[in-house]
Amino acid sequence: MLAIKNLTKSFKTRNAVDNISLDIPDGQMVGVIGRSGAGKSTLLRMINRLAEPTGGSIIFDGRDVTALKGRELLEWRANCAMVFQQFNLVGRLNVLTNVLTGRLYHHGLIASMFQVFTPAERAFAIRALDRLGMAHTALQQADTLSGGQMQRVAIARALAQEPKIVLADEPIASLDPMNAKVVMDALRTINREDGIAVICNLHTLDTARNYCDRVIGLFEGRVVFDGPPSALTEQAAREIYGAEADEAFSESMTSTTLKPAGTEVPAERLTEADLQQRARAELLAG
Amino acid sequence: MTAMTLQSISSSDIASVRQSHPQAFGSTFSTITRWAIWLSVIFYVIGSLYYFEVYRLLDASGRALNLIAAFFIWEDMGEWQYRQIYIGIAQTLGMAFLGTLLGTLMALFIGFFAARTTMPFVVVRQIVRRILDILRGVDQLVWGLVFVRAVGLGPLAGVLAIAVSDTGTLSKLYSEALENVDRKQVEGIRSTGAGPLKIARYGYLPQVLPIFISQSLYFFESSTRSATILGLVGAGGIGMIIIERFRANLFDQVAFVVLNVLVCIFVIDWLSKKIRARLIGETSH
Repeated sequence: MLAIKNLTKSFKTRNAVDNISLDIPDGQMVGVIGRSGAGKSTLLRMINRLAEPTGGSIIFDGRDVTALKGRELLEWRANCAMVFQQFNLVGRLNVLTNVLTGRLYHHGLIASMFQVFTPAERAFAIRALDRLGMAHTALQQADTLSGGQMQRVAIARALAQEPKIVLADEPIASLDPMNAKVVMDALRTINREDGIAVICNLHTLDTARNYCDRVIGLFEGRVVFDGPPSALTEQAAREIYGAEADEAFSESMTSTTLKPAGTEVPAERLTEADLQQRARAELLAG
Repeated sequence: MTAMTLQSISSSDIASVRQSHPQAFGSTFSTITRWAIWLSVIFYVIGSLYYFEVYRLLDASGRALNLIAAFFIWEDMGEWQYRQIYIGIAQTLGMAFLGTLLGTLMALFIGFFAARTTMPFVVVRQIVRRILDILRGVDQLVWGLVFVRAVGLGPLAGVLAIAVSDTGTLSKLYSEALENVDRKQVEGIRSTGAGPLKIARYGYLPQVLPIFISQSLYFFESSTRSATILGLVGAGGIGMIIIERFRANLFDQVAFVVLNVLVCIFVIDWLSKKIRARLIGETSH
């Protein structure tokens, strides 16, 4: 379980994250929403310790993550995989090596320097890629991939870390709707099948609604909403996005609609017969 | 309204425009300054030509012609010591290669200490950079003289001279490449729990390696040229053979050696261009 207590990150003029306290149980899929600059990224980066908090603490399974140093800090980063908006793959390495970098913490120094990986590690990496449907690109240089493909490789890298928790910082903000759906489906599958908690920064309300067990709304570094998606009323959304009461606010303004797999029949699965039946039904209805 | 022509501009027009837009006609002061600068440059050039006795060129034309002829009329070619010459060329190439390789290996290490992105401690970084400035600031030829004194005549002195001066320059270039890497890729590696060395290996090195290799290839090319000169101060290689032939007035042999060196340099240029194109060509977007 991840427990965040009074977490604060101050910059010179303002608090990016302002006294946030949260408990995130194992295996939960959490969506963090809010406007850009609301502190979503800073929060996630502090959990992975890519950014240092100025106050408060992060406790994972009874261990204070904010106090970790040296080797223990690296171990924590390995346990807490991160997926970035810009994918953050090493462009000049091939896909397989990029996924294998997820093993670097566990890997010996000399073997790392000479880029020697064991057959077991390679097989594990290929399996991870296979789960994302990217195994066929294993030997391709990473910067030849499209954005959606890169993000899937980045998720495979996260899986290669055998993480206890996955942090996804705006994983779909740089993707087109189709790829965004593939990536969100992948994250949800990992969450469901492996029971790994996923904390996902999203700037779109509907994605959070459709994919997450729990939605946390941030506004100016503070939690202004915390609950199941069903409790996310228009009033709550207004507060999160800071829209004035008289301003028109529509959820669709925050983004494209993404529905998780299975909630609707995708268009390409419709057969000829389905279409005929639908046309007849429409005729009968007048 | 009549169309304006240049002829229609009268002197009173000029006077009135000069009154309203004086800056359009240039100020006397700036005109004088400009002429003063030009005049002093011309006098300086003429003065230095006179000081260096350029007129002696005219007297020397007969001797110069003889010298040029000596370069082109090749005599007694059967007696030239080809073996020695080609060993000398091979030695020069070896010196350039080994020197650049050593410099590259050193720079690969030192570059990380001189880059802002990889060395957060200002003091260490500044010390490393100042030392590099010294290595770079002292000319390769001077390093050659120093090492000839230190390790004696021969190619080893040349290798060390090239290695030291290349270390200075390559480290500087490498550190600049390291400062321009894509931070996101580095962060991706950092987020997996990799330690500093592994971050350098996987986050930085793949990004900068093509630049490193390309720069080192340039230095191999230029070191081949400078290794020739290093031989002149006794640091081994073809330069020693050139200077010996020159002193013995065997200009035809000097010309032959220089031609051979030129061919070698062309081949190296061509090869390194191919290798570089291959390396840089790897990025496809």
